[in-house]
Amino acid sequence: MENNIEHESPLTGEQSLQLITSMISKAKNEFIDTGLSSLLWGSVITFCALVTFANYWLKWPALDYVWFLTIAAVAPQVFIGIREGRERRYKSHEGSLIGGLWIAFAIAIFIFSYVANAYPFSQATSVYLILYSIPTLAIGFGRRFRPMIVGGIACCILAILCTFTPSPYEMLCLAAGAQLAWFIPGLILRKCYLQAKRKHV
Amino acid sequence: MFKDLNPILHSQLRLALVSILITVKEAEFTYLREKTNATAGNLSVQINKLKEAGYIDVIKSFKDNYPQTICKITPQGVQAFEEYVKDLQAYLNIKK
Repeated sequence: MENNIEHESPLTGEQSLQLITSMISKAKNEFIDTGLSSLLWGSVITFCALVTFANYWLKWPALDYVWFLTIAAVAPQVFIGIREGRERRYKSHEGSLIGGLWIAFAIAIFIFSYVANAYPFSQATSVYLILYSIPTLAIGFGRRFRPMIVGGIACCILAILCTFTPSPYEMLCLAAGAQLAWFIPGLILRKCYLQAKRKHV
Repeated sequence: MFKDLNPILHSQLRLALVSILITVKEAEFTYLREKTNATAGNLSVQINKLKEAGYIDVIKSFKDNYPQTICKITPQGVQAFEEYVKDLQAYLNIKK
């Protein structure tokens, strides 16, 4: 169809319908995710969880502040966001929805971290994992991206498992959740992105 | 009795453009050119026709010192497209 698009021949009803369908599907399939954000957050959360786990025995006071890395990671995230926005030649409705979802997630995590610090309770890690699963599952189902669906479900299962896991072993569940929900899907997205980029060069 | 199909939309390139713009929030000229495989000249002409009809908004700006043209469908364009599809369905006798 696209080869004839330049040539303005009269359209039949069937051709019009075919053209609409093909253009909508072309625009819908143009989904670009560099995978960098998923890799960043998957790495940061895994690192913080493993350091917290190791610090149970190491007992280094400085390592108690390792979770502040998540605040520091906002800077590279903003940089990635700006760079990806510049590369993108279109804005999708889906993109705005996903942006809103991540903002809501960040606010929820921030408020919950404050509450969990002010009023410590034993099942905080389970709640974190449930919170991780929400955007992961929503994006996985929305984009029909199976690794994120699997990651989101894994977070829910790990959240239940956490309730039976003594401290500090629940940190291993958190690290596993970050790997399955973000790091591994991020690696797959990155691979797809680089392959698509190579094709276009 | 069949209603005549909207002549502004019943053209290959203009219909292709509106179909893309209905799917995305906004798109750059280069993206539209890539998706439609049209020449820059023809694409500009068709974009102007759609703009004159009030179906799309065209925003011209600069990105990294290069001129950038962004196209966005208007509510009027969305309505015209929906009516076009409805008329097309009636024409092809497709029941929803």
